[in-house]
Amino acid sequence: MIATVRSATLLGVDGHPVTVEVHVAVGIPSFTLVGLPDTSCREANSRVRAALVSSGLKWPNKRITVNLAPSALRKVGACLDLAIAVGLLVANGDIPAAATDGVGFIGELGLDGTIRPVPGVLSLAGALDCQSIVVGPRAYHEATLLGRHRVLVAHTLAELIDALQGVRPWPDPPPPRREPRPPPEPDLSDVRGQPLARFALEVAAAGGHHLLFVGPPGAGKTMLARRLPGLLPELDDDTALQATRIHSAAGVTLDCAGLVRRPPFRAPHHGASSVSLVGGGQGMIRPGEISMAHAGVLFLDELGEFGPAVLDALRQPLEEGVVRVARAALRVELPARFLLVAAMNPCPCGEGGAPGACRCGSSARARYARRVSGPLLDRLDVRVAICRPDVAQLLGGALEETSATVAARVAAVRALSFERGVRVNADLQGTALDEAAPLTDSATNVLESALRAGRLSGRGVSRVRTVARTIADLQRAARVDAEHVALALNLRTELFASHERVA
Amino acid sequence: MSRTSGDLPPEAWAVALAGLPLMGPARLLALLRRWAPEESWQRVCCEGWLRDRTVVATAGKEPAALAQLWSAAATQVDVAAVWQRHVDFGVGVAALGSPAYPAPLANDIEPPGVLFMSGQPGVISGPRVAIVGTRSATRYGLDLAYELARELAAAGVAVVSGLALGIDGAAHAGALAADTAPPIAVVGSGLDTVYPRRNLSLWREVERRGVVLGEAPLGAPPERWRFPARNRLIATLADVVIVVESRDTGGSMHTVAEAERRGRPVFAAPGPIRSATSVGTNRLLRDGAHVVCDAGDVLVALGLSSALCRSLRDRRPAPAPEDAGVLDAIGWAPISLDRLAARTQQPLGQLALALNRLCAQGWVVERSGWFERVARSEP
Repeated sequence: MIATVRSATLLGVDGHPVTVEVHVAVGIPSFTLVGLPDTSCREANSRVRAALVSSGLKWPNKRITVNLAPSALRKVGACLDLAIAVGLLVANGDIPAAATDGVGFIGELGLDGTIRPVPGVLSLAGALDCQSIVVGPRAYHEATLLGRHRVLVAHTLAELIDALQGVRPWPDPPPPRREPRPPPEPDLSDVRGQPLARFALEVAAAGGHHLLFVGPPGAGKTMLARRLPGLLPELDDDTALQATRIHSAAGVTLDCAGLVRRPPFRAPHHGASSVSLVGGGQGMIRPGEISMAHAGVLFLDELGEFGPAVLDALRQPLEEGVVRVARAALRVELPARFLLVAAMNPCPCGEGGAPGACRCGSSARARYARRVSGPLLDRLDVRVAICRPDVAQLLGGALEETSATVAARVAAVRALSFERGVRVNADLQGTALDEAAPLTDSATNVLESALRAGRLSGRGVSRVRTVARTIADLQRAARVDAEHVALALNLRTELFASHERVA
Repeated sequence: MSRTSGDLPPEAWAVALAGLPLMGPARLLALLRRWAPEESWQRVCCEGWLRDRTVVATAGKEPAALAQLWSAAATQVDVAAVWQRHVDFGVGVAALGSPAYPAPLANDIEPPGVLFMSGQPGVISGPRVAIVGTRSATRYGLDLAYELARELAAAGVAVVSGLALGIDGAAHAGALAADTAPPIAVVGSGLDTVYPRRNLSLWREVERRGVVLGEAPLGAPPERWRFPARNRLIATLADVVIVVESRDTGGSMHTVAEAERRGRPVFAAPGPIRSATSVGTNRLLRDGAHVVCDAGDVLVALGLSSALCRSLRDRRPAPAPEDAGVLDAIGWAPISLDRLAARTQQPLGQLALALNRLCAQGWVVERSGWFERVARSEP
C-alpha cells in the first residue's frame, strides 16, 4: 500500500516542500530510503524504527520503500523523521489516510518517540501550503509566527498516533514561554565626548553607510559600535520575518517575543573562518555571521587580524546584499544586507594615529595597513580616527544625547530615503543620486578641489555625495551644501596614508 | 683573472676590504693604518693580520673566526672587477691619506678608511651645520627643519644630514629650496642602493647639486650597524649639530653623543613637553644644549652675521577672519577634528569647511584624520 505525507526540507534559509511516499509491500523485509537523502536524513531508518517500537507498535516485517520527492532535491537533516514515521503507519494501515490529508509534519524523532524541534521551523512551515502542520511542543511558537496554518502539537509519536486515529483529542499547545525581558540595548548617552565618532555613528545609521573606526586601544571603538543597533529603527514585518527565518535556520533559539524585531548585532571573533562568516559548509548550507547580521549590524573588531581571504569574501555581499553559495550540486542564496562596522588600530603598537605619536617604522605601519585590502577599505564610506577622550570629558557630568533622540533623527532620514525610492541613502546611485543630491555651486567647488588634490577617486566622489546627502538630511537641508560635502570628506579620511610630503 | 698589483690603485684594495662581511669602520681603519691597502688585503687573504696586536684588538672576541670568515670571503672577491664596477658607476673613491680625501674627515679621531662620494666632493668646504631628528616627525618638526635648513643654506652654510625619512628629508629639502649652499648627505648604504626608496628624488637632487657620502662600497645593503657609523660622519662633518625633534633614544641622540666627543656645539629645538617626539630635544636642553629658535642663533655660533638670513615672503593667501580663529585653535601640535570641535565650540560642518579651505590654502595639512598647522608656504 502507498501513503503520501507532506513535509519540507531546509536549504540555506529557504524551506522546500517534500512529499514523503511510503510503499509497504510483501517481500523480504527491508527498508530503502531514496530521493537524495544526506547521511543524517538516511539515519531516519534507525530513529523511526526505535520510535515506533517505543510507542508500542510493531515494526512491519515487510518490504518498505520510502521516496522523498522531488527526488532531485537534496534532503538534509532529520526534519523528515516524523513524516516518514507517519507515512509508514498510514501505508501499514495503522492510521487512516484521510487523517493526514492537508496536514504537514515537521520534526525529528527521538528513540523513545519524542518529537523534537529542528532548525528552520519557520522556513519549513512557510514552504508547506497545507491547512495544518504538526510540530513538537518546542517548535510550536516558532511555527505559529507565520499565522498561516493551524499548528497542532504532539509531544510523542504515541500521542500523535492517538490523535490521528481519533482515539484522543489533540494535546493542548504549550503555554507562552515566560522569559526575562532581554537586557535593553546599550545607550549612546553612556559615551562621553567623542563628538566626531558619535556623529559618524549617526550618519552610518541614518544613511546605511559602512563605518570604520581607527584608534588606539581604550579609545572606545567597541563601546561605540555596540551602540549602533540602538540607533536603527525596528525592522518592518517583511524584514523581521526574513531575519527570523535566518536565525531559525541557523538553529538559534528565538526570543519569546517571536519575530526578530530589533536589528541584530553580530560580532564574530577575528579568528572566524571564511565559511563561518559567509555561510556554507557541508550538507545543509548554514547561514554565516553576515547573514545572521542581516538587517542589523556586523561588527568586525580588530579588522586587521581577520584573514585577508576572509575579508575579501565580504566584498560581494557588501555590494549585493546577498551571499550566493554555490556547490557542485546546489546553489543557495542567503540574504546578507548588513551594516558593517569595523574597528582597528592605527599601527602595530596601537598608539599611533597622531603624527609622531609612536615609533612604529613606516614599513611596519604600511604592512599593518596592507592587511585590509584597498577594495574593502573603499567600501567603508565613513572612516574616522578616534582618540582617547580627555580626562575632563570622561569625568565631566555633561549629559550626552540619548540613543532615542538620535534614533528619531535617523528614522526621519530613513523616511526621506524611502521617499526617494531607496532603502537607505547609501543605495543611491547614478541618476538617482544626481536627482536626490543636487550640489550647490560652493559644494561642487569643495568636491572639485578634493578631486584635484588627488584625495578622491571617481568612485569616491559618488560615495562622498551619498554621505553628504545623509548629513544634509540629518540637518534637514534640501540641497547638499559645501559644509555637508566638507564634512563628508572629513568622514572619509585616508587613515593609512602611505605617502607624506617630504617637508 | 689576476692582474699584477701595479694595474690597480691603492683605493681598489681598500674598496675590496670595505666590502668584506663584518668590516666595520674601526677594523678597516686599524688595517689600513697598519699596512698599505694592498698588503692589508694580502694579510686578510692569508689571515696574516692575526699576528698584529693593534688590529686584533678591533676584531672582537673571536679573531680566529673573523679571520676565517674574511679569508673565505676574500677568495670569492675579484678585486679588479670590484674596482672596475666602481669606476664604471662613476663613484668617487678616496682612501685615507689620498689628496681627494675631505680634510674635515682626515683630521677626525675615527676617520673612514675609505670614502665613497657621488656628486661634487669639492663642496665640502666652508661652514657646515648638521640638522638631524626623528624619522616619525610631526609637522612642527618637519616645518622647523625645513625652515632652518633653508635659511642656513641661504646664508651660505652647507646643511649636512642623513637622507632619512622625517627630519633629515625635510632638512635636505629646505637646503635645496634655498639653492645657495650645496647640500651634503651621509648615507648608510652603498651609493647605488637608495634607501629609503621614498627619498629617491631627494637623493638624486642632493647628488646633482651637492654630494652624497658613504663608507659602504657599491651594493652594500642598508644594514643596521652602518647607521651609527653614518651618524658619526654627520657629527664629524658639521661645525654645529642641530637636533630638531628627537625621542628619548634613537639615531639623533647618537649623533649628539658623537658631536660631543668631538667638541661640536649641539643645538636643540624646544618642543611641547608632552610631545613624545620632543622628549629627547627637551632633555638635551635641560642638559645644557644650546637653544635654537631661528637660524640666526646658529649663525652667531658659527661666527657669521645673522643679517645673512633672509626670510621668505609668505605667499599663502591670508585666511578669512572666521578661518583665522580655527587656525589659532589648531595650535602647533597635531589635533583631531574632535578636539578641535571641543576647543572652538563650532559645529562639525562649519569646522570641516574651514579646515578644507585652510588645507587648500596651505595653512593646514591633514594626515590620517589629524590636522597640523603649517608654518611656512610651499617653496
